[in-house]
Amino acid sequence: MKKIIFSVTDGRGFDIGLVLLPLAFLFVLSGLPLVYNVVMSFQEVDMFSLGSFVRPFVGFKNYVDLFAQPETQPILLNTALFVSASIAGQFIIGFGLALFFWMNFPGASWLRGLFLVSWIMPGLVVGAIWNWILSGDFGVLNFFLRETGVIAGNIFWRSDPNYSLWAVIIANIWLGTSFNMILLSVGLSAIPKDLYEAAELDGATALQRFFTITLPMMRSTIGAIIALGLIFTLQQFDLFAGITSGGPNNSSNVTQYWAWDLSFRQYDFAKGATISVIMIVLVMLASVVYVRSTRHEVRG
Amino acid sequence: MRVSRRVMLGVIALASISLPAFSAQAEDVTITVWSLDRDIQPAPNLIKDFNKLNTGIKVEYRQIQFDDVVSEAMRAYSTGQAPDIIAVDNPEHALFSSRGAFLDLTDMIAKSSVVKPENYFPGPLASVTWDGKLYGIPKATNTIALYYNKDMFKAKGLDPEQPPQTWDELVEAARKLTDPAANVYGLAFSAKANEEGTFQFLPWAQMAGGGYDNINAEGAVKALDIWKTIIDEKLASPDSLTRGQWDSTGTFNSGNAAMAISGPWELDRMIQEAKFDWGVALLPVPETGAERSSAMGDFNWAIFASTEHPEEAFKVLEFFVSQDDRMFKDFGQLPARSDIAIPPTGEPLKDAALQVFLEQLKYAKPRGPHPEWPKISKAIQDAIQAALTGQMSSKEALDQAAEKIKAVLG
Repeated sequence: MKKIIFSVTDGRGFDIGLVLLPLAFLFVLSGLPLVYNVVMSFQEVDMFSLGSFVRPFVGFKNYVDLFAQPETQPILLNTALFVSASIAGQFIIGFGLALFFWMNFPGASWLRGLFLVSWIMPGLVVGAIWNWILSGDFGVLNFFLRETGVIAGNIFWRSDPNYSLWAVIIANIWLGTSFNMILLSVGLSAIPKDLYEAAELDGATALQRFFTITLPMMRSTIGAIIALGLIFTLQQFDLFAGITSGGPNNSSNVTQYWAWDLSFRQYDFAKGATISVIMIVLVMLASVVYVRSTRHEVRG
Repeated sequence: MRVSRRVMLGVIALASISLPAFSAQAEDVTITVWSLDRDIQPAPNLIKDFNKLNTGIKVEYRQIQFDDVVSEAMRAYSTGQAPDIIAVDNPEHALFSSRGAFLDLTDMIAKSSVVKPENYFPGPLASVTWDGKLYGIPKATNTIALYYNKDMFKAKGLDPEQPPQTWDELVEAARKLTDPAANVYGLAFSAKANEEGTFQFLPWAQMAGGGYDNINAEGAVKALDIWKTIIDEKLASPDSLTRGQWDSTGTFNSGNAAMAISGPWELDRMIQEAKFDWGVALLPVPETGAERSSAMGDFNWAIFASTEHPEEAFKVLEFFVSQDDRMFKDFGQLPARSDIAIPPTGEPLKDAALQVFLEQLKYAKPRGPHPEWPKISKAIQDAIQAALTGQMSSKEALDQAAEKIKAVLG
């Protein structure tokens, strides 16, 4: 008896308790909804059976129906383009800024902190502001491009199917760059300075130092950032709601917005769940990459 | 700490037992009402007035957000916690009545001395009707018409007392009024990919002999072609595709559009913001003498089938209906009734506009009614957007929509 009490207060039992508590928390708040979502994607769900768990199972019918819809393929392609372009833009600009602030000129850390403003702002507010910036007739971006002579006529960023997805990508890059920059800055400052001193003594150029020291030492950070970026961009919903609503004609629609549209605008909950399951699989793959790259970090 | 929690639990347990018992003792029946009306809108005020009458019926009110009405109502109904009375958007009404979620009021209305079906405009009445029975009472109604800037008409040599009557005249006027140098578009409307796009397009299709169940009719194709002309020639901002009616009409108020298609909900803002002389005209028709049509908006009252007090709930609705003559004066909403004369407000522009909207209301048609309206609406929105962005011809786009709608209609 004493042994058990001891184990719970200061022993193995305590350790297990520490693990079980967050596990139970995760299971109730994330695990159950996830399972529920997967189950729902194999059922026939309508608004009036939403409240009960007993619903007819239809096998893979929802999946088959979903892929038979003409808009599915373009939306999946849009999602791929949105994710890759957003991550590439956020990462490259973020890395550039991180290297820039790494030079440690006076006020560098202040300025770096200010960049985080974009990350703090609620997505819907960012969406509303970019909605104005990208507006066709009176948008700031068009005014700027016109005055600098880049374009002759207004570009209707939100309403031209050739640009609508890029409108959201631009806003999303702006939103995510600072987060990338901060994480990369942390990674940069963790690289021991003596490595660079030694390399410099051996006559390595700045470019050589970047490719042989900075990049390899940052490997795990970069892996983590890209995985996190994938998760964040796949979650990005507010900007779509704020700027294009997925339009015109689905040209800027992506899976995460579509899932919401199907579930809560067209009340087709089963299909909404089906898309979510497909996305869960994708995010899980990204999570594996993320966990692996951070594990490497702990060991090293 | 432990003791106090126990005490708390005890109090909560006691309260939950004694509350129903207590109210039963007072012999008051409690009726809950859900609607989206804010404090300055009808529902909460009418309820306050009703409770003052001490009829033995106590009404409790809960406000819900526009976007949550259907999902919240469904969740509540499927878990057995539905309110007694709810206000739903008219195209969603059939969804509930077709599933038996709303109470059939036909008999009660037949006996009622207050609610008379013949007093209502046909459109709103059709939206509460399912299978020949009445499942609700129209709460208010609205529709769309053509706002136009009289000063700009004069400046461009158009007669401000002769607004465009037909589609061709509308396009012609828009061409004359469009002035890119001055940042002025001829027309502002909404072709957004949500219910607003359907709301704006359907009347055009209906005027030309189409309808949601006949969306690829020749006239509907022509209507979409006209829309495409308007967008292609930049007679309206290309952003009409992603802008709702409220924002589009905002550009009219600021003098960046010479005409706008929208509803009476714009009136109060327009009177404040528009620094020019404006008027309202009936929605232009395909050609002179053609059938008129318009969209029909706003909400209906309904009683959930799960209510324990149908008689009392209906009494509450009867009270709401008896106050319909206050709707415009006190709350700026149009009652869905043809037997009520709306007194002038003393604001000449508003009163003139009101007359046009009342005339337009006679031609307002409901969307549906159909239990799967959102899917039908989505097919129409997709067609509008596909055609206006040039990805399909109007005919192809509407043919595809007709195909999708046929699958829904079965």
